[in-house]
Amino acid sequence: MASEDARYRQSSQFRLWSFSRSELASLREKANALARASISERLSSTSSSSTTANKNNHDRSASTSNANTPDPEGSAGGASFRLPEFLTVAEEALMVTFYTSQLLGAGEAAGMSDEVCATAAAFFRRFYITNSIMTYPPQDMMFVALFFGCKAEGHFPRIGDFLNMGALSSIKKQPEEILAGEFLLCQGIRFAFDVKHPFRALIGAGMELRRLGGIPEDRIRAAESRAKQILRFSSLITDAYFHYTPSQIMLAALSHADRGLAERLIHNTFHLPTAPIKVESGADTPVDGVPKENNARKDRANEDKAAIIGQHIRDRVLGTIEACRDMLSHEMPERSREHWQTKEIYQDLVLPVKKKLKKCRDPDRSNLVALQRARREKALKKSGGSEDGGPDDRATAGTKGDDAGIFGGDLVQRDSKRRKVAPGQGPALDDPFGGPL
Amino acid sequence: MAVSPVVVHTNDGGGGVVPSPLKPSSTSNGTPRLARPAAGGEAPAAPAPQQHLPMTLDLVEQMNEQEKKKYVKGKKLGEGTYANVYLGHARHDATVLVAIKKIKVQKDYKDGLAPDAVRELKHLQELRNHPNIINLLSVFSSKDQNLNLVLEYLPLGDLEMLIRDVDRVRYGAADIKAWMGMLTRAVWFCHDNYVLHRDIKPNNLLIAADGEVKLADFGLARSFADPGTRMTANVITRWYRPPELLFGARHYSGAVDVWSVGLVFAELVIRAPFLPGNTEVHQIELICQAIGTPTEENWPGVSQLKDYTVPAPPTPVAGKEAYMTRFGGVGAEGVDLLMKTLLLDPKKRITAREMLEHKWWRAEPRPTRKEDLPRKSGGEEKLADDLKRRPGVVEDEGSTARGGKVARKLDFGAAK
Repeated sequence: MASEDARYRQSSQFRLWSFSRSELASLREKANALARASISERLSSTSSSSTTANKNNHDRSASTSNANTPDPEGSAGGASFRLPEFLTVAEEALMVTFYTSQLLGAGEAAGMSDEVCATAAAFFRRFYITNSIMTYPPQDMMFVALFFGCKAEGHFPRIGDFLNMGALSSIKKQPEEILAGEFLLCQGIRFAFDVKHPFRALIGAGMELRRLGGIPEDRIRAAESRAKQILRFSSLITDAYFHYTPSQIMLAALSHADRGLAERLIHNTFHLPTAPIKVESGADTPVDGVPKENNARKDRANEDKAAIIGQHIRDRVLGTIEACRDMLSHEMPERSREHWQTKEIYQDLVLPVKKKLKKCRDPDRSNLVALQRARREKALKKSGGSEDGGPDDRATAGTKGDDAGIFGGDLVQRDSKRRKVAPGQGPALDDPFGGPL
Repeated sequence: MAVSPVVVHTNDGGGGVVPSPLKPSSTSNGTPRLARPAAGGEAPAAPAPQQHLPMTLDLVEQMNEQEKKKYVKGKKLGEGTYANVYLGHARHDATVLVAIKKIKVQKDYKDGLAPDAVRELKHLQELRNHPNIINLLSVFSSKDQNLNLVLEYLPLGDLEMLIRDVDRVRYGAADIKAWMGMLTRAVWFCHDNYVLHRDIKPNNLLIAADGEVKLADFGLARSFADPGTRMTANVITRWYRPPELLFGARHYSGAVDVWSVGLVFAELVIRAPFLPGNTEVHQIELICQAIGTPTEENWPGVSQLKDYTVPAPPTPVAGKEAYMTRFGGVGAEGVDLLMKTLLLDPKKRITAREMLEHKWWRAEPRPTRKEDLPRKSGGEEKLADDLKRRPGVVEDEGSTARGGKVARKLDFGAAK
């Protein structure tokens, strides 16, 4: 029996994106540490090294506006340089959770399907396992994830239409800002675009419960609807997808909605009596003429089956589902409105971290459009310019003008005007949502 | 900017040694310049902007570099609208050949990564390790943010080449059975994993060095839809498109692929497309003539489909006799299977799984072992030792026994 379990193990969700809790924690620590190291290095090299470095840095961020303006902060480099305080792993986790709630809210407000929202949320969270919030801006990546979530689920909206979907029109994003992050996201999710969700499993559970009979329809409906709410939020904003299979998540959600029904389902599924299966193997007395190996084969088949749906598995399954249930209970659907979207939480929890983030984020990567342009230019240089990618690589500032046309110079200009964040560390591009100037 | 096919020395020259903070992306891989930003050409020099910023590699970038480093890109094998295909080999072992499919930035699609690429990657990532589905070995991005899919190298062309080369390639019922068996397993595997391929046709059936047939090109594939979700009817190359799609059905199943499989089967036998319609209307006419007119009697509900129109006097559904005269070469069981794949009503059409359980597979003749299947040599890009070996295999008894002289030189590349 090529079980569904076996098949699930072939999926990219299992192969690439399932972890034990300790694995997950260590990946996040690693991403955080790596970001600290590289941001430190970048900041210190830009501000402590020669004026050339400063000049270059300045040119970069001011590129399209007017590269010749003297840098007002340029003199601040050198000795006075101090590294900022970086986000902790816990603070990063808080931000990822916060922005996941934002993403889900935005997706819903834009009228996207449950699958699209869920896939987008999964992409977003996967991305930030190997990338730090300090490296790539979450307030941009959440929209990138929504856009690519549509595509991965088989809808291919034009970028302009996407930005006009319901409430999305109010975010005032430019097409370039979304597209610039798309490839980055794809890379970050390791080109695994298929996300397996528990929604269909829930439909199946409903059918199964009705088939069992004797359960009032009202009760089933109520459970389905509550479980669905949970699947649309709790399992997406926690780490559930990284630790549990879709069916486990479904059962955990169902168990929150109606523990009795979930347990009934589990008991009914894992029903095969375990251990000596003599009874089933033809009751000890082989009928004449039936070759022994037939019985042996039956035995084996039964053992195989029992390995999947035997009673002894039940306890393990119940334990797993209980653990998943516990994880979901930290983020019940009500938390969306009553917690994450409240002013108090934003003020008290989120804002302080955002402020901190502004000072410690990656100077090269907080603006996706500029970053992508830089990367593309680099690629261009290589093919068009010197073979060895040597120092002549610098050259060709003339492309600046072209790029401004192509990628929207207006946008970059806006950003460069707004920059002024960490004094003494050279200009940094500001948070698109960011503070007034 | 001639696109000189390039050997990618991805990282061995410089940045690769250490993920050095300095210019990780400055190695020369000679990737062709990108269409868009190239606009103004590499204009006048001026003080350098970006290049001197230290850019360390993220974790993900490092992983990408690692993947990229595993392969060496060689000459271009073919060029399509959606991708170019290059021959490549593993860096650690030049005898391990791969095909590197580099997705092009599409001029008419301004909305990021193109749908074909998204679909193809999505499904190939999940449909791994089946002998009859092309294997995705790796994915990486080159510096200009082009996607590169590393696929197994399938040097022996595709089924269409064999079918069409009537003069030089001879094959019989046992060979057809072997090819059909491999195709059917591939389609079953897709459906069993809830994927519709939606573009099955002979030139998407590639042939590996050992003769194994591999279903390729998942650029139109999609996951099964939830009941009630509408899908596009505009899929599957016309000659292989089933009547429900021609009639504009927006809800359909694996039966669409099964119809295509049936037409590949028919084409293998008669060595020409069975229903080569010039237009959709013509396609429907051909179906009506050769198979029968879809009516409420043989297909309840068909007249409700949006684009249902059929030529005036309905043709009765063709009986077994009619099929036997044309397709009798595969025997009565083979014809039975063929007819079941070509049932007009998709609900009655045989499923991929039922196909695998059909009696034909066990009837005589036994399917040819894949190593013994007729083949043609794989084109000029073969490696030297391959060239040495191939004529022996090809020009000798192996194939002359089948009466085939096999082309030594081929006009097109192996992978697509």
